[in-house]
Amino acid sequence: MTETTDVDVVQADLGLVPPSEGGGELVPAGGEVSPYDHEHPGPRQYVLIGMVLVVITAAEISVSYMTSLNSNVAIALLGCMAAMKFFLVCAWFMHMKMDAPFFRRLFISGLVLGSIVYGIVLFMFASTVLVR
Amino acid sequence: MAQAVVAAESGAVAHAAHEEHTTNTGVSNPKLAMWLFLSSEALLFGAFISTYFLYRGRDAQFRKGPTPDKMFNIPFTSVTSFILLMSSLTMVLALAAIQRGDHRRLRIWLLATALFGATFVGGQVFEFTEFYRQGLTLSSNMFGTTFFVLTGLHGVHVTVGIIWLLLLYGRSMQNRLPTEKSLAVEMAGLYWHYVDIVWIFIFFAVYLIPQH
Repeated sequence: MTETTDVDVVQADLGLVPPSEGGGELVPAGGEVSPYDHEHPGPRQYVLIGMVLVVITAAEISVSYMTSLNSNVAIALLGCMAAMKFFLVCAWFMHMKMDAPFFRRLFISGLVLGSIVYGIVLFMFASTVLVR
Repeated sequence: MAQAVVAAESGAVAHAAHEEHTTNTGVSNPKLAMWLFLSSEALLFGAFISTYFLYRGRDAQFRKGPTPDKMFNIPFTSVTSFILLMSSLTMVLALAAIQRGDHRRLRIWLLATALFGATFVGGQVFEFTEFYRQGLTLSSNMFGTTFFVLTGLHGVHVTVGIIWLLLLYGRSMQNRLPTEKSLAVEMAGLYWHYVDIVWIFIFFAVYLIPQH
């Protein structure tokens, strides 16, 4: 039976303790192998993700040329596709999916903070946004 | 030691390539610093993208001059965007190579990433030159100001990334980048991918939206 120390509690709060801890698998914070150094995807998977990114980019450009499409619908579609590309690069290429949740939280905090701050700014000047 | 054995027995590819983590948090401090930096960069680029949006609709009201829909060459920028996107792929392949201990491929992918980056920057220089010839300068109108500052700032980031990649390439050529130092490549990779995702949004916000 191992005792729970203050450090363990803080690590758990920050999301630094791997979910596999209870299973008695890899648990070495401060050890030789990081608990988050799980299997990274192989080159084949990376290439697959790259191909998906190419397809999304092609769709993005096609939508930008569809003049018959409603302006706001096109912007929403383009935004969704940009978000998909963003997610794929972050999750797979930046290893956010496999890395310590703390990094993910840190990064998302910056994005959320930025979105709120600049969202408010843009909202205040909404009449100049999304207008041709 | 026992943990490494467990990792090997469980079939997991324990990344011996990574440097040891001896911090209280269990994560490497340089990586933590890099994520913090990237998080703060979101605020920096957010400011410039928002500014671009704020002034985009006001151009005609303020001064006359070249406007986005008359200036942009979408096919050309699409190609350079595609090149930058592919550089992210080569970057992650470089990281995978060093983690496998394949230093020959590491060098190939690092160089490919730097070349793709240089092509992107070259495309940006060409675009800027064309715009200047057509009368769009930093001070010609608000479009010129916000466009050049936003894309120029991104271009500077890409240039810094290229220098970083070339330094890693040089270190690898001198055999000063062993597999245990793969964190150095991972850090450069994080920065490079970040620069790529910022461009994804700039391309969407600046180049594609004005078409409608």
